Amino acid sequence: MQQQTHKTLYSSHAWIGIISGILLFIVTFSGIPALFDHEIEFWQYPAYSELDEKKPFDLEQSLQTAKAIDFTYDNFFIQPAGEINKHITLAYFTQDKEPDIRYLSANNYQEFPSSPSEISHLFSHLHTDLHLPNPWGRYLVGLSGMAMLLAIIAGIIIHVKWRKEFVMLRPKRSWRLLLTDQHKLLGLWSLPFTFILAFTGTILGLLGLISPILALAAFNGDVEKATVAVLGPTAEVTGEYTPVYPLNELWHRLEIDAPDTSMELIQISGLKLLTTKGTLATDRGGIIKFSGYHKNKLSNLESITYNLSTGEKIHQGSFIGKGPFQRVFATVTPLHYVLFGDVWLKVCYALSALAGCGLILTGNMLWLHRRGHGMAHWLSKLTLGICGGLVVSTSLTLALSQALYGLASPEEHHHLEELGFWGFWLLTIVLPFIFKDGFSLSHYFLRITAAGFVATLVIDGFLHGRWIWMSEGWVFNVQTGILFSALLFIYLDWKMPKQATIRKAAESSSNVDDSEFDNAQAS
Amino acid sequence: MPQFSSMINSNAGRISAAIFGSFITTVALTVCITVVWPFGDTIEKIFAGGTFFFVFWASLFYWAILAANGKKAWLRILALFFPVLAIDIISLIIK
Repeated sequence: MQQQTHKTLYSSHAWIGIISGILLFIVTFSGIPALFDHEIEFWQYPAYSELDEKKPFDLEQSLQTAKAIDFTYDNFFIQPAGEINKHITLAYFTQDKEPDIRYLSANNYQEFPSSPSEISHLFSHLHTDLHLPNPWGRYLVGLSGMAMLLAIIAGIIIHVKWRKEFVMLRPKRSWRLLLTDQHKLLGLWSLPFTFILAFTGTILGLLGLISPILALAAFNGDVEKATVAVLGPTAEVTGEYTPVYPLNELWHRLEIDAPDTSMELIQISGLKLLTTKGTLATDRGGIIKFSGYHKNKLSNLESITYNLSTGEKIHQGSFIGKGPFQRVFATVTPLHYVLFGDVWLKVCYALSALAGCGLILTGNMLWLHRRGHGMAHWLSKLTLGICGGLVVSTSLTLALSQALYGLASPEEHHHLEELGFWGFWLLTIVLPFIFKDGFSLSHYFLRITAAGFVATLVIDGFLHGRWIWMSEGWVFNVQTGILFSALLFIYLDWKMPKQATIRKAAESSSNVDDSEFDNAQAS
Repeated sequence: MPQFSSMINSNAGRISAAIFGSFITTVALTVCITVVWPFGDTIEKIFAGGTFFFVFWASLFYWAILAANGKKAWLRILALFFPVLAIDIISLIIK
């Protein structure tokens, strides 16, 4: 490779990282709790795990209960109990209003109060749209994925000695060499996952931006027509009502129409739940759409739509057997959200995302160090405050949210945890600008984070009697994950050098010119 | 004019070609692929253009940024932009 090309790629890699690094850290780190969204939700609220074991799904009974509890919408969603949850969710979404979401036991179909906590949504929204107005937050997340993709491409090309760098870590040499080695190690080992996450995240984030352009090209700008062509038809309201086709029969027919598919979501449009005779009625044009994942395919998004009145199949959306581009596109969502494989694959994704966070931090620190800036530089403070602060705030909010089960009313719960999350984060952003010793502050951040995770488990034990050694199933799995996180941050605190150690190492290795060494490596 | 020329030829010109020029060209290229892709149905054509939108963007970004100066970067980008734009216009008019 020509030296000029190498230099340009090197500089592009560095500047892309510096410009987008902090935003990328927020998106990457918040992706970890977002990945375990359902698991965290299930663990956090004891009522979910205390439900009786689920029975086979009864769609008609779900609708009868919906009617009984005054859930009388004509267009809503039903989510049957999944692998983790033992409850059925009824959801109605409308623009500019809070969604109406109800929970039924998958055993006796009785409604039970939903969790007062919104913590898993708090984290997942940070990942998907940064809590910014729609669609700008999503676009920003997509652009950060694009920046990650560009940085990865340049990173791969400039690191030509990757075989050697796979196993190179020199902890006893200078601080800069340690950062360089860690940056390369983390980047190389997590490369397949970070590349997949960046690629799929960019598509998911920017899909809304390019969809109108593609609709313009293929459907003369008719976005609705394009949506129907890809996702299937919507209900055509006629105003004429007829009895509903036996829905449990349709549910069983899915085994023939969509074999090996796990149906995760049911959308009902045009159903009239209130009738004088107590039976269900539907608009003649009403539809029921089942969406789910094929169990044995990677491009696994499947959907099937029936007419609610006649039970006639009117659309089947499947990417299996379709053209190569459709199949590639259909793998994007499963690859990003790990809708295949088991929980260990999710753990691999989470560890890679953690490595990605380390990659971003070491990259920022390296850039600053190479220019002779220490912890006093504003970018150092901002990196520590925003990135370190997000980690601290996440762990403290988890602990706070558990404590609020005993301290606050259900109505106040999610407001207080939101206030806590933003408050902790804001405080930790300000702290590096007040305390001069950034290194010590980093150590404190790591300790507070570990303490927050431990406190979460202790509070859970005291309030709900769910001590880790007494737990089982998904509650145990999540608690183990939290304990592992605490131990990881304690380990990082222990292994991260103190400022004095770095100075000492720098003095003792003053005969080695690091910049020369690095330049030699780079070329 | 000389001021504009030196601005285009500068590092800022190269970076703007890499970021904005490559984005606009990618949009034109995506539309072009969608309208001329010969295989499969309409949905396949949409995904042929849309799925690798970001790969085109990344490739064009580096093609522009690796140019010797801003002028060459813009020349690279425009050399692709105008032909695909012409194809887009002709295809959409014929349609």
